[in-house]
Parts: sequence; structure tokens; C-alpha cells
Amino acid sequence: MMVKYSGYKGKILRVNLTNKKTTTLDFADEFAKKYLGGNGFAARYIWDMVDPRMAAYDPTNVVAMMTGPFQGINIPTAGKYYMATKSPLTNGYFDSVSGGYIGAQIKYAGYDGLLITGKAEKPTYIFIEDAKVEFRPAEKMWGKLTGETQEMIKEEIGDPNLCVSAIGPAGENLVRYACVITEYRAAGRGGVGAVMGSKNLKAVAVRGSGSNQVADPAKFEEWLDWYSVEAKKIPSLVAGLPIYGTPVLVASINNMFGAMGTRNHQTEVFEGWEGISGETLLHAIWSKDTACPACPIACSKVFTVKEGKWKGAISEGPEYETIYAFGSMCGISDSGALIKTDSLCDEWGIDTITYGVTLSFLMECYQKGLINKDNTDGAEFKFGNDDVLVGFVEKTAKRQGIGNLMAEGSLRASKVIGSDSERFAIQVKGLEIPGHSARALRGMALGYATATRGGSHHDPRPTGEYAGVSDRKAVEGKAAWVIGTQQMTTIGDSLVQCHFLERLLGFTLTQKFVDMINPVTGFGYNLQELVDVAERILDLERSFNVMAGIRRKNDTLPKRFLEEPIPDGPSKGMNTDEATLSRMLDEFYGIKGWDKTTGIPTKDKLVKMGLEDIALVLEKL
Amino acid sequence: MSVIVTLEKKPLIKFDVQKCAFCKICELSCSKYHYGRYADALARMTVVRKSPLMLRCHICTRCEKRFCIAACPKNALSYRGGNIVVDEKLCDSCGICVKACPFHGIRLHPETKMPLICDLCDGDPSCIKACPKSALSLVLLPEVRK
Repeated sequence: MMVKYSGYKGKILRVNLTNKKTTTLDFADEFAKKYLGGNGFAARYIWDMVDPRMAAYDPTNVVAMMTGPFQGINIPTAGKYYMATKSPLTNGYFDSVSGGYIGAQIKYAGYDGLLITGKAEKPTYIFIEDAKVEFRPAEKMWGKLTGETQEMIKEEIGDPNLCVSAIGPAGENLVRYACVITEYRAAGRGGVGAVMGSKNLKAVAVRGSGSNQVADPAKFEEWLDWYSVEAKKIPSLVAGLPIYGTPVLVASINNMFGAMGTRNHQTEVFEGWEGISGETLLHAIWSKDTACPACPIACSKVFTVKEGKWKGAISEGPEYETIYAFGSMCGISDSGALIKTDSLCDEWGIDTITYGVTLSFLMECYQKGLINKDNTDGAEFKFGNDDVLVGFVEKTAKRQGIGNLMAEGSLRASKVIGSDSERFAIQVKGLEIPGHSARALRGMALGYATATRGGSHHDPRPTGEYAGVSDRKAVEGKAAWVIGTQQMTTIGDSLVQCHFLERLLGFTLTQKFVDMINPVTGFGYNLQELVDVAERILDLERSFNVMAGIRRKNDTLPKRFLEEPIPDGPSKGMNTDEATLSRMLDEFYGIKGWDKTTGIPTKDKLVKMGLEDIALVLEKL
Repeated sequence: MSVIVTLEKKPLIKFDVQKCAFCKICELSCSKYHYGRYADALARMTVVRKSPLMLRCHICTRCEKRFCIAACPKNALSYRGGNIVVDEKLCDSCGICVKACPFHGIRLHPETKMPLICDLCDGDPSCIKACPKSALSLVLLPEVRK
């Protein structure tokens, strides 16, 4: 099949696990231009195929595994793949992007993505090699850790270089925030792994013999030259990320901004930051840099614990968010415990952010006497107790004892515990908030509240506020800023490219994005068209969430953030209260073209975005 | 960097396991140089990761034993100018050379089924130029004469 635009195969593979049938969906050239890839494709197909009102574990739910035009070519920071589904944690549209060569392999196999639906009768894994799709039994891998599962599949197929995305026991046991692991990286958040588990799908393995090309090789070379010159001028791309990785953020966020949530956000300055900072990790336990495919930055670090209680633990990561969730949130300053827990979470298949924040929530409940040793299997859920942090990963994955409660996430746990504990459950729409403060950064307050995914730092971005491009304390103009960053991340997720180029390309969409996309695809976009693509995708996601029952009242923050200002440190006294948030929301909906009382996208807006069919559905509400 | 390859010296692409970050840009630059498109199946080298710290680079090492040449039933392979050269007229794509190479340095082209073996890109290897971590380098070793 001939495809007009480069970077696309024009084909989506649809896999039904119930009857073991596969079909390919061909899409029109203009579909690619309208939805761009990854995020856009998945949002459209999931809207078309999934009833937003049914349960996430219903067999009709879809797991989308998508690529964008950039996979399989040597463009920096695009060695990734994109997964989306209706989340068991937030009950809304959810996507998670992970580094891994499997994205390129899907492209090389001749597809732009996979849509997996149905439920296999027995544990299964899918092996795709170009046009051949096999449903293979995975009974002997069921219950196995992610690393071992990948090895077993590589061995069975006989290819040490095979790309496998697998779930761990947590996914099988429907831990609501189970992740999908490829090599050592995770499509972590929102429970995509749990939905795979509910389908009895242990893994997806892909190998392709095809290739990917760009539309205008000369212009593309020019862009790569531009990149290699310009990237050298950005400190985070030459020093911060390549040398330290994301842990470099610990020192500045904690000391300069006082914005690193500590002990379940009782404060935002962690006195034990030195033990878990990027500098400490680099000098004490760093063993190797690694990269996502085709990325020259190589921000990923492998750490090996050389002494102390957790000697011998080795892990790729932890990233900054994990350091926040395990370290400052649980009050632990021993990096060894963090490395150990990080590797355990990867192996058992658990999202580190949600695990850490849920644990810190329970630690505060323990501190307040809402739970005691009778509830916690005899363990002392005290802040700073690293035995609990390490020890309860397995229990959570197996849903044993209090692990069964932890497997539900902090929001659902707070409903079980009661006593108004929901006010300090650090989550938005059920998704635990990562390590960029909603109190110290005004944009993140509005950003988390309005994000499709809830508490995700990849819907709004904090970087522009850290960099001072947008005043982190300002209320005026913040809505437009947040919309801008959300558009930028949506385009990034559609290209399936990570957001670390934001300091180079722009915190909001700029001509530089257009100049990067056009030589590859041949779309000939202008900036306004690209902004429209982002808005279209965001409206689609919002419409899905609206159908799932999400309204303006859900666009809020934990009570603790609305009512308690940060008690000390550089951001002392800061927070966004209910009235301010409400004012920003009005402005946000106004610019978006969403209804101010309900938060539903208006008919005019949807029609303007070319989503007439969706406007008709929402009209009936 | 341009290198004149003489018969007296044996070229070797040296792989630094500590520096390599497993980004596989070398593979993509290899297929781009030879075929103008990006595909790991067309690359004449492969980097494999076995554990967080253990990486292997599979590429022709110009080994002294030349297992592939000895194994080829059609005499389609020869060693010329520091490279293993394939005579595409003689080769029948049996794949015996692929199995014979203990370094996993040979694979078959997915479409033409011809053996793909590192040819040093006319003396200026694209993988070395592309590697962002400087994990690859070209060294010339003295050829052992028998």
C-alpha cells in the first residue's frame, strides 16, 4: 500500500484475543495529518472502539500500542512507544509512554500500531513478525517477573535481540497501577499492565524486517545538524541529563524551590536530600549510562549499591520521580533502599510513583493512628522505615495482607480507611501526583487539575516554571500557559517523543516543532495547524472522560493542597486555594471552548476541530 | 577521519562496553549509509543487551580464521582490502556463513537474502562517526602471517 506521507505505514494491526483473529485497519493519508500518530491515533481509535462507561477490566476495553512518525529513525529522544487504554485507576482515558526499541520494531514490521482487544482464555503472549501474528501460550511465564519473562520469550523465539514488552505478577493480579516493562524501562502509570493482565496477555513481542524513511532527507539532515549545534547550548542536554540523569533535579527542586513533597506533603523540604541527590548517586553508586533507542542524550543511569544494608542491588534508574516517591515522600534518605525498591518494582511490574505515594499516604495514616500494626501485617509503617518500602512491593504485587489495599492506590485506600483521610491522599482523579509541587508551581496546580490523566507531570510540564519562563507564582495568564504546555506534551506524545527537548524546542508549541515534523512527514504543517492537532486530541480525550463521568467538579486538587500552604522552606506560604483554582479554571475553560459550569467541550469547539461526530454524541448527555 | 587500509594491517571496530549506552544509533547510521533508510534488519552490526551492565556488539572482526570463507560452499566469500567481500553472483543465500560466524557478524538482507557484512564504509565507518558516546573506534592490528 502506498502512503502519501513518510513516517507512516498506513496500517494498524487489530488483535482480538477472544477469538484469536487479527485484522489490519488501513487508514487514509489525511487521518495521519489530522491525528499525527501515537496519542492522536490511540485517542481516536479508543473513542471509536471503547464504551467509556464500561469497566476498565471489561474484555471490550482496548490496549493500544502505538508509534508516531519518528519511530525507527535516528531522531533524538524518539526511541519510544506509546500505550493507551481506559485506566482502572482513573476510569478515564489514559496513556503511558516508555522508552524501548519495540516502537521501532512495530514500524519495521509494517504497522503504525496495535489495538489489542478481547480476553484470552488462557495466559497468552503475542509474537508479531512482519505479517505473521502468533498467539503463543504463556502459562509457564505466568507468575514470573518481567526480566525472566522477557528472557524466556527471547529464548523461545531464539532471538537475543527480540523486543518484548511484558507485565509482571502485579499486572496478572490486577494491581491498579501495574506497569508494562520493556527491557528495563516502564510504561509505568495508570495501570496499562493491569488491563493487559485482565486480558490474560502476558507480553507482546515484535520483530520487523522493514524500514522507515523520511520525506525530505536533505532537509532532515539539515535539521539534525541544527540539532547537534543547538543542543550543545542547552545545559540540561549537555550536562544535567547526560551526566546525572533526572536525579539532578533533587538538589534544585528541594533547595532552590522547596518543592519536593516530603512525608506525604506534610512539608516540601526534605532534610535528608543529600543522601538521594543526583550528585550523591553519581559519585557513590553510578555504574553506567544507558539510552533509549536512537537518543544521544543517554539520561538513564544504572546504579549498583556498593555497601550497606542493600549492597548488591542494581537497577536502571531510579528517575527523579521515583526518588521523590520512595525517598522524600516516605522519609527515606538511604539511596540503597531506593535502588533496591526500584528494581523490585520493575521486576514485579509496579508503577514506582503510585507505589511510593500510596505508601507515604498509609504512613501518614499510621502516624495519625488511623491504622495500626493490626492492619499492617505487624509492620511499622513509620516514615523512614526502609524495610517497609522494600518489603511491601512483593506483597502489593501479590495482593497479600495490606498489600491488597495498597494495590488499589491512595484514593481507594482512603475510602476504605475513612476518617476524612481523603484530604491528604495526594492524587488527582485517582492518579498519584509526582514530584513537581502543585503548591509551589501555580501552573502545575491548574495543570494537574485539568489533565486528562490527573496527577501526571507529562500533561502539564513544570520545566518552564522552574526555568522562570512563566512566573511560578502568577495567576494572571496561567491558564493560557498551562494550555500551551498541554498542547506541547500532546504533540510530543503523538510523535512519541520525550519532552526533554522542551528547553530546545519550546515549552509550548513553536515553529521549531513544525520545522522538525515537516521534513520527516512531508505534511507541510504551519504552526496553527499543529496547535489545532493538539487541541483536537485534547478535546477527544476530554470527551472520552466526559462520557466516563468526569466533569468540572473532578478538576480539582487534594484538599491538603487547597487548604494548607507549604509550612516552611523557600516556598513557605504558597498554595492555590479553592477560589483561585476556580478563577483559573473559568479562564482555562473559556480559552479552551469548554462549558464553564460542566467542563464539557462545547459543540462549537468540537465542530471547529473537525469532531462533528463527537459533538453529536455529547449533545445527547 | 579517513584511513588507508593496507594489507599489512587488520582493521577492527573496537567496542567499549562501559561507554556504550545501548542507543543503537550505530545500527541506524549503518543502514542509512548503505541503503538510505533506517532499519536494524539492514544493519551490518547489532548491539545486544543481556543484563543492565552487559552489552555485546556483534560485528565482523576480520578474525584470522575467516570461518565464513571456509564455510561457504559456493566460494562466494573472499578477504580483500581488509574486508570480507561477497560475490553476489556466486552466493545462493544458503545462510551457512551466518551460522559459521562465531561473532554473529553476518546476517542476511531481509529482501535480497545476501549476506550483510561490515565493509567499514569505504574506510570511514559511519557507526563510529554517529556514536554519541564514542564507544566505537577503529584500530589497526598487525595481520598475523601464516
